[in-house]
Amino acid sequence: MGPPVFLQAIEDTGFSTWLRESESPFAFYFILLFHTFGLALLVGANAVVDLRLLGVAQAIPIAPLKRLFKIMWIGFTMNALTGVLLVLAYPTKTLTNWDFYAKLTIIGFAVWVMQKLKNQVFEDASLTDVDRMARGASLAKWSLVLWFAAITAGRLLAYTYKYLTYPS
Amino acid sequence: MNFAHLHLLLNHFPIIGTIVGLGLFLVSLPGKNEDLRRASLIIFPTMALIAIMTFFSGVGAQGAIKKDPGVSEALIERHQGAAMLAMVFMEITGALSLVALWKAQGKARPASWNRSLSAVLLFSVVTVLLMARVGTTGGDIRHPEIVSGQAERADATGISRMVRAFEPSPGRVAELMTTSKWWWAFMMDMHFVGLALLIGAVGILDLRMLGFAKQIPISSVHRLLPWAMLGFAINLITGVLAFTGMDQYYTYDWAFWLKMLAILLLGLNAAAFYLTDAFHSVENLGPGDDAPPLAKFIAATSLFLWFAVITLGRYIQSFADTITVHK
Repeated sequence: MGPPVFLQAIEDTGFSTWLRESESPFAFYFILLFHTFGLALLVGANAVVDLRLLGVAQAIPIAPLKRLFKIMWIGFTMNALTGVLLVLAYPTKTLTNWDFYAKLTIIGFAVWVMQKLKNQVFEDASLTDVDRMARGASLAKWSLVLWFAAITAGRLLAYTYKYLTYPS
Repeated sequence: MNFAHLHLLLNHFPIIGTIVGLGLFLVSLPGKNEDLRRASLIIFPTMALIAIMTFFSGVGAQGAIKKDPGVSEALIERHQGAAMLAMVFMEITGALSLVALWKAQGKARPASWNRSLSAVLLFSVVTVLLMARVGTTGGDIRHPEIVSGQAERADATGISRMVRAFEPSPGRVAELMTTSKWWWAFMMDMHFVGLALLIGAVGILDLRMLGFAKQIPISSVHRLLPWAMLGFAINLITGVLAFTGMDQYYTYDWAFWLKMLAILLLGLNAAAFYLTDAFHSVENLGPGDDAPPLAKFIAATSLFLWFAVITLGRYIQSFADTITVHK
């Protein structure tokens, strides 16, 4: 029993084929590039908040770092959109790869931790930095671990797939 | 692109530049001359950056001459092995110099002698000696007038033979990098982790200088820079290792060289930040304060160039085999 036929149906569409096979610099690599930008914004901004909550660069006041969550959501949206396009380009390769589901699961947890951290640490304007660090240190640690795992899972996609395209 | 020419152009810097740097460092000692010491601590990381580009260009230079009669593959390999060893010490010297510079900033009186400076002295001396060896072994490849018959024999003197034992065999290094796809995946993984750390830390500094989140004092986000440098260091190491694993692939790729150019420009941009009054003009800005135009320009250039680096890096795969061999 091979992969589900609907995967081949997606691959055979004009759009999917164009994304995969076009020589245009605006096809697959362009989308992958914006996926990397999104990662840089999302994980970069999140890493700065996490590191601060863990005690790095204590001269930085914590409250204004709330602005960084906007950047994180821009990055996340960029990656969700480009991610969908990447799956459309290589549906069989992605959806038959266990690593892809691991990646989505880890990202799910990472975003959940990110929201929890925002609520616990940043919602109450009256908290001192010491309070915020106490509330956020554990979540910050998990956030770093989960994003590291997410990047790893994503990076390994290129090395763990079974089919590049639907087996003929 | 004439790689042989590029290599000959660049190789002067890591060999002679490090001698100049060490010279300035030593001269600064008796009079405790802070300016000379600082100059040498700036020269070392600059040479470290150029040394990497020099190393990369060597592969193309090798491609250009290896088919010539009278050129010995063994001599090229010896030179490349010597270059690899020297590069390790060069990069460590550059990193230690940046640490020493970081420690010295903001101090009113000259920094007294400390462990970082001792480490810089030690590693820079070793680097200069190893670079001299790289130069000599390189000259042996194509300068018959300096080869006195010693080159072909197993290295005569004891020290030479001892150093030789530490020089890696380029072929073996390449093999090591590419034997396991999981090792390669791990290096690429760390390359992305490094980039996230780098963009996060540098990005927030640049964005603050451009006016984002003005409640944060600039000097405080500036303290994140060591983390950005950690990200850069991770990427430098994984990048150089990846290059040694697949040197032909990267050498003949326009995107790769443009990426290296962008990194060199970033070095220039950083130098501009610290050597002009841009840094001092923003150092003491408090919440709500606006950065002056020069600082904003430098910040914008930094952001643009780092995203250019990501873009070019991503397009390496797409631009494979885009450089034709100049012969």
